[in-house]
Amino acid sequence: MPETAPLPLDPRAVRLDASAADRDDAIAQCGRVLVEIGAVEPSYVEAMLARERSISTYVGEEVAIPHGTLAAKDVVRHDAICVLRFPGGVDWGGERVTVCVGIAARGDGHVRLLSELAQILMDPDSARALREADEVSEVLSLLQPTQEDQ
Amino acid sequence: MPERTVTIASRTGLHARPAKLFVQAAQAQGVPVRIRVGDGRPALATSMLAVLALGAVQGTEVTLTADDGPGAEAALDSLAALLARDLDAEEASGA
Repeated sequence: MPETAPLPLDPRAVRLDASAADRDDAIAQCGRVLVEIGAVEPSYVEAMLARERSISTYVGEEVAIPHGTLAAKDVVRHDAICVLRFPGGVDWGGERVTVCVGIAARGDGHVRLLSELAQILMDPDSARALREADEVSEVLSLLQPTQEDQ
Repeated sequence: MPERTVTIASRTGLHARPAKLFVQAAQAQGVPVRIRVGDGRPALATSMLAVLALGAVQGTEVTLTADDGPGAEAALDSLAALLARDLDAEEASGA
């Protein structure tokens, strides 16, 4: 397994009670949060939509991980993730998604981010806790366990 | 047990898009295939999360294995060939 490090999750980038009309709306909301925290330029949002049209970012456990295309790395200012929960569910090409983890990464940063995230979600209890968390702090401690331990 | 060792060619590693293409190809095989990095624990090649968790970057050597049986060799050949291609380059040229 690759070395581990806390996921770059800003508390301001967590939304527990979002709702979206459809998949593109959910992705655009993730993109706007990444823009708001200063992680990406606004043009990253369109790159996220383009990536999703190329191939679904659904990974299982009701989770999708929208992110930009390779060409959009230039508009990423710093590595970041955002977590948007859609309790009402979003139809994701036939799959039901209740958690979107938007990802922005420079260089090869995305591989480590995705690996970290996947290792957490592979534990069904952690995945369920993420879907059901009532507090932003719970989401932070689930995704940044090492930071919490320090 | 049949196996193939192959180096990840995709320039951004076995991440979201290349991983998805690999998992879809694994799901289309008639036999269960596992993938591991080095001496690591074998993961189901049909699980997106398990494949992402490997954290394989460009240049990482991965080993594909399948149980002996009809179709096993062909499945491994097909999946190994996929990993040996730069799937990101195909996106760049095909977009």
